[in-house]
Amino acid sequence: MSEATVLARTRAFVNETFLYMRPGFALADTDRLLQRGVIDSMGVMELIAFLRSEFGVVVADEDITETNLGTLADIARYVSAHSNGNGAKP
Amino acid sequence: MCGLAGVARREPRRGGVSVEMLDRMAAALRHRGPDGSGRYADARVGLAHVRLSIIDVAGGAQPLGNEDGSVLIVYNGEVYNYLEMRAELIAAGHQFRTRCDTEVLVHAYEQWGTAMLERLNGQFAFAIYDRRKSQVFLARDRFGVRPLFYSCSGGDLWFASEAKALFASGEVEAALDPIGLDQVFTFWAARPPRTVFRDVASLEPGCYAIWQDGTLRQGRYYELDYPEAREEANDALPTLDGLLDSSVALRLRSDVPVGGYLSGGLDSSISCALAARGSPFSLRTFSITFDDPQLDEGEFQQLVARELQSCHYIRAIGPHDVASVFPDVVRHAETPLVRTAPAPMYLLARLAREHDIKVVLTGEGSDELFLGYDLFKETALRQFCLRQPGSQVRPRLFDRLYPYLDPRGRRGDFWRRSFLEAGSPDDPLFSHLPRFLLTSRIKEFYSADLRAAIGEHDALGELRDNLPSRFTTWSALNRAAYLEMVTLLSPYLLSSQGDRMSLAHGVEARYPFLDTRVFEFAARLPTSSKLRGLKEKAILRRWARDVVPPAVQQRPKQPYRAPDVPAFFTAAPPEYVAEVLDEANLARTGLFEPAAVSGLVRRCRAGTALGFRESQALVAIISTELWQRYFLGEGVEAALPAGSQS
Repeated sequence: MSEATVLARTRAFVNETFLYMRPGFALADTDRLLQRGVIDSMGVMELIAFLRSEFGVVVADEDITETNLGTLADIARYVSAHSNGNGAKP
Repeated sequence: MCGLAGVARREPRRGGVSVEMLDRMAAALRHRGPDGSGRYADARVGLAHVRLSIIDVAGGAQPLGNEDGSVLIVYNGEVYNYLEMRAELIAAGHQFRTRCDTEVLVHAYEQWGTAMLERLNGQFAFAIYDRRKSQVFLARDRFGVRPLFYSCSGGDLWFASEAKALFASGEVEAALDPIGLDQVFTFWAARPPRTVFRDVASLEPGCYAIWQDGTLRQGRYYELDYPEAREEANDALPTLDGLLDSSVALRLRSDVPVGGYLSGGLDSSISCALAARGSPFSLRTFSITFDDPQLDEGEFQQLVARELQSCHYIRAIGPHDVASVFPDVVRHAETPLVRTAPAPMYLLARLAREHDIKVVLTGEGSDELFLGYDLFKETALRQFCLRQPGSQVRPRLFDRLYPYLDPRGRRGDFWRRSFLEAGSPDDPLFSHLPRFLLTSRIKEFYSADLRAAIGEHDALGELRDNLPSRFTTWSALNRAAYLEMVTLLSPYLLSSQGDRMSLAHGVEARYPFLDTRVFEFAARLPTSSKLRGLKEKAILRRWARDVVPPAVQQRPKQPYRAPDVPAFFTAAPPEYVAEVLDEANLARTGLFEPAAVSGLVRRCRAGTALGFRESQALVAIISTELWQRYFLGEGVEAALPAGSQS
């Protein structure tokens, strides 16, 4: 799955889940989700559940890092690399 | 337990204070005192009282006076050391007509004036009218168990156990205080003296106020302090044993049977176990169970009840039960809420009352005194990790926090970072910033008008500016304990979830852990005696070894939670849910952004609103709309900027 597709779907999820009450909020692909207050510790769990249900990507505990999931662009890169056909984990 | 109300006029009035007005104020408090009522009125001052008879059932009617009627009192609460004080006052020459603790307060005031407060061990709020000085003396207990609200205007003073009695006077207007509302959506409750009602104040715990000649001046007689010892004293366990025994024994002083709330946790099990030992009556215990196994503690309740051989009563609670009583809960709490947790407490009090119990012992206070909450562990861990920011190992300890949130434990570094980046240890609010910031996400639903009404007010900044001078001398965990006491225990747990829910049904809750002596003992302990590694309430567990069943003694703390989103999105929710969440209603009341709330409702209906962030917002919005409907009617516009309701 292409990074662009993952990024678009993840952005839609983030908007629908975390930003629907902040319609004017501008979120760049490289904005840090935690630092900008988009997601919090509970939000991380929701995000991980989404990646599993939407892309079939089970994020291993050791992969739940800022490097992999810190921004929309990081998420797109990580999911694209781990989704089916790209070495996805079962 | 009782309710009190009154008024003091700057200028005497011909015909005196209206008894009809006093009767209206008393009627608004009837649920607090269904056993009787009384009033007093002269040209300047009026007092009203509703009574729940517990001590000296036959005597003790209020207002109650001294020998010549020059000092009168209306009083809500219990002073547990009243027998000892009574003996002291008799030795000093005072004559008593009744056996009740109320009269002890009258003579104590005559003997010691306002210095009497330092001698009282109990949970109380009262108003003493000194006719000789034309002075009204208001006071409230150290931890804020019993409420006392007041309003001043033009030199006149109105006061009452609940704000609704002030409004029933017809002379105090119910209007929104936007800053009080903003505090609720930061701390879970407005911070005394502020309330969610404009120009209605809550007397702060440990404080008194004196009204004379139209002027109200206030003072503090008790300040929380944490003079932490370096090491645990050798006799700490026997001291704790004696204190808890004595605290429970004092709280069993009653002329009616005393029951116990039993949650299945350590604290309520201790108070019930000690009550079962000390009560002359067969103990009756009361519990709530939940359909949702993640919330339910029924197994442990049954275990303790069997062990104590108590007469055990259970109220099973499903989501629909919470929703069906929620409007009543908000009406009694008199404030918007961010949790539904008061609703089961409301039903629990009803259960106790249905079984003729009007006094219960309950375990609140222990988690604050002995560092029971996960928040304290979180604080310790955040500090521990920030001391070695490069450590990859230390942050893994965060995975052991909040096990009930994600049973699969899938959290990773991202979860850990969220704690580490939640605030600097130099910030006085370090311990509570994650909770305050999470709660503050409710504000994302504010309407533009509400934002404008709140303006530049900074709830966190105001709290930082009002911390006591000794705060910086305390350890991080004691600073956390203090913040928990003043921001949550007193204004929320003891009020919205405590006093208001139990007295909605005329049930008085008594708190053995909130005995002043127990608090001061705990405050002197080294924090390592309380939080040992990640084991909470360590000293209490050591002591409780022979008091409660091992399964309870060793059981990790389970937070008390109630159904929230599912309560309002059952197959057939009560009609009010759709009414208050309707966009047209929200546009009319003007507090929340209708489109944002609709987004939330959509996610709740779809079952995707699963976390605290959204469940607290839903509860906040529903409760605020119910609150404004009940108390303000159309009056909410007055608090918002002019022309904002177009």
